[in-house]
Amino acid sequence: MRFLQKEKSKDNLSFRLMIVVISLVVLFLGIAVSLYIGSRNISLQAVIKAIFIEDGSKDNLIIRTIRLPRVVMSICIGANLAVAGVLMQGITRNPLASPQVFGINSGASFLVVAATVIFPSVTNYSLVYFAFIGTALSGGLVYFMGSVGGMTPVKLALAGMAIHFLLSSFTQGMILINENSLDKIMHWMAGSVSGGTWDSVSVILPWTVLGLFIAFLLASSMTILDLGEEIAKGLGQKTELIRMIAGIVVIMLAGASVSVAGPIGFIGLIVPHIVKYFVGTDYRLRIPFCILFGSILLVCADVVSRFIAYPFESPVGIVTAAIGGPFFLYLAQRKRGTKE
Amino acid sequence: MRSLRKIFSFILIGAVTTGIFVGCSSKDTEVQGNNTSSDKAIVIKHEMGETQLSAAPKKIITLEYSFVDALAALDIKPVGIADDNKKDILIKAIADKVGSYTSVGTRSQPNLEVISSLKPDLIIADLKRHKAIYEELNKIAPTIVLKSLESSYDENINAFKTISKAVNQEEKAEKRLTEHTELINKLKSEVAFDASKTVLPAVVREDGFNAHASSSFTGQLLEKIGLKNAIQQTNGAYAEMNLEQLVQLNPDVLLIMKSSEKTIIDQWQTNPLWKNLKAVKNNQVLMVDRNLWGRFRGVISAEEISKEAVKLIKENK
Repeated sequence: MRFLQKEKSKDNLSFRLMIVVISLVVLFLGIAVSLYIGSRNISLQAVIKAIFIEDGSKDNLIIRTIRLPRVVMSICIGANLAVAGVLMQGITRNPLASPQVFGINSGASFLVVAATVIFPSVTNYSLVYFAFIGTALSGGLVYFMGSVGGMTPVKLALAGMAIHFLLSSFTQGMILINENSLDKIMHWMAGSVSGGTWDSVSVILPWTVLGLFIAFLLASSMTILDLGEEIAKGLGQKTELIRMIAGIVVIMLAGASVSVAGPIGFIGLIVPHIVKYFVGTDYRLRIPFCILFGSILLVCADVVSRFIAYPFESPVGIVTAAIGGPFFLYLAQRKRGTKE
Repeated sequence: MRSLRKIFSFILIGAVTTGIFVGCSSKDTEVQGNNTSSDKAIVIKHEMGETQLSAAPKKIITLEYSFVDALAALDIKPVGIADDNKKDILIKAIADKVGSYTSVGTRSQPNLEVISSLKPDLIIADLKRHKAIYEELNKIAPTIVLKSLESSYDENINAFKTISKAVNQEEKAEKRLTEHTELINKLKSEVAFDASKTVLPAVVREDGFNAHASSSFTGQLLEKIGLKNAIQQTNGAYAEMNLEQLVQLNPDVLLIMKSSEKTIIDQWQTNPLWKNLKAVKNNQVLMVDRNLWGRFRGVISAEEISKEAVKLIKENK
């Protein structure tokens, strides 16, 4: 297969360039629509002006302090979750892997809910770190359980699901017992970017940059890992180390995203597959394209979510679930089909 | 075989997708619940069918706060209350009338064993919360299911009337409702709120602002005392909002129920858009009792809520 690809490399290149250009256009349009649409009608002129100049008017302030950080946050989170997803699918060699399926979302939710119960006056800023710790703990737990007696992708997948269900039920239990103090959590758990401010962007941006940077560095190693455990080891790769670093990056990216916007599902699941369809299996291409496609998906999902209860807000998690749910089923079906 | 599988999988995916959208819109399905009891009975029609009571019940268990309110308004003490395991959750006006009771656990998961041990002759349950355990409750004692959670003001008054029928106090209830309406009208003229102005009650959390629209309990109640709601809508009692939408609505009075110490309002206060809101400029951002406004519905609670609203608005004029 690789030889064939090399022969057609020229065609592939122009094809890929075309994809990049089209995606950038789609992303640009998505951002434009996201900035333009809202409960207040603001002219396109004012929108464009607001991006660059601050003039203190109402329209200007709305764009600069509300819509713009929201879009930036959507881009960051979309990119983070997509890359986290593609890394997870690589580590576990399971095409159904994603941050939510592997207990990462539920780990973050669990610790955030627990923190709110134990410290009712906990601030939003501190909740970020609780979510982070929760992600790290559940991620670590899954990793540990999955590697007992030698790690295999199957063990990792099973451990992930077990931890996910365990923590979800604990979280639900806490919410049931503490209903009065936890109505605030119910909204958070659907996942939403509507509260995005420059503050929250500043929280997530460093982790985004760091995580994506390391992901880039890992790209070629991930591609080799993809060839299979034995082949990778045979080529001299330290597979355990690569898996561990990739796991840390996943925790960074997914954890930061969940802590700022709550658990948004399915992006880490769908985007890697769409990207694979367009650019193949080389992670040096997959990772940048995941960044691009992930951003597009979340920005567009956010726009759509604004129409569910227009002019009021709905969690973007609803839209990603509506797209992702059927897609997940389709994937599961297809995998079974090819095994026959 | 292969193509059959494909067709099946597409149907499955289609069914699930439809299921997601259908699930988003909730419909109350009527289930026939019958209680076989003796001859001369009070027959109560409620949300899940009909229940017969052989005589006026003496030991009543209530599984939502609005039902406690209804009984208290009729000077009846329930023997068991679902109080979310918090002894001091009842507002003073109701707690005074109710006195001591046995806690049957949380509203969302009441303890059926404790309920059973109290040997009640009537259980009043909430449609949204307890639909699933209606059968079990009915086995313990005659159960009526009424709307409480996320119900409107009118629905609550109707529930009050139904409860009064169940405890054979219909006359007393009518008198009480007349008093209630008089008080509401009195408060309306006392506050004399400008018809062109609007109010917006909302629950604010750390990460969000959930406004109560005109069709919510609070919204409807406030409109009865002449406080027009900034969000007029019939589909959906609540509206999740961000600062942009609040700026658009620009209500004259904000009635804030704080869900925690720090809320999203603290964040919004740093935004110049906030300072330009009418309510902020006129010092009409009013903090109200979260417990009373958010959890309690019913005749007594409505009166307490209205009194607080009028008091705060007049104080800050």
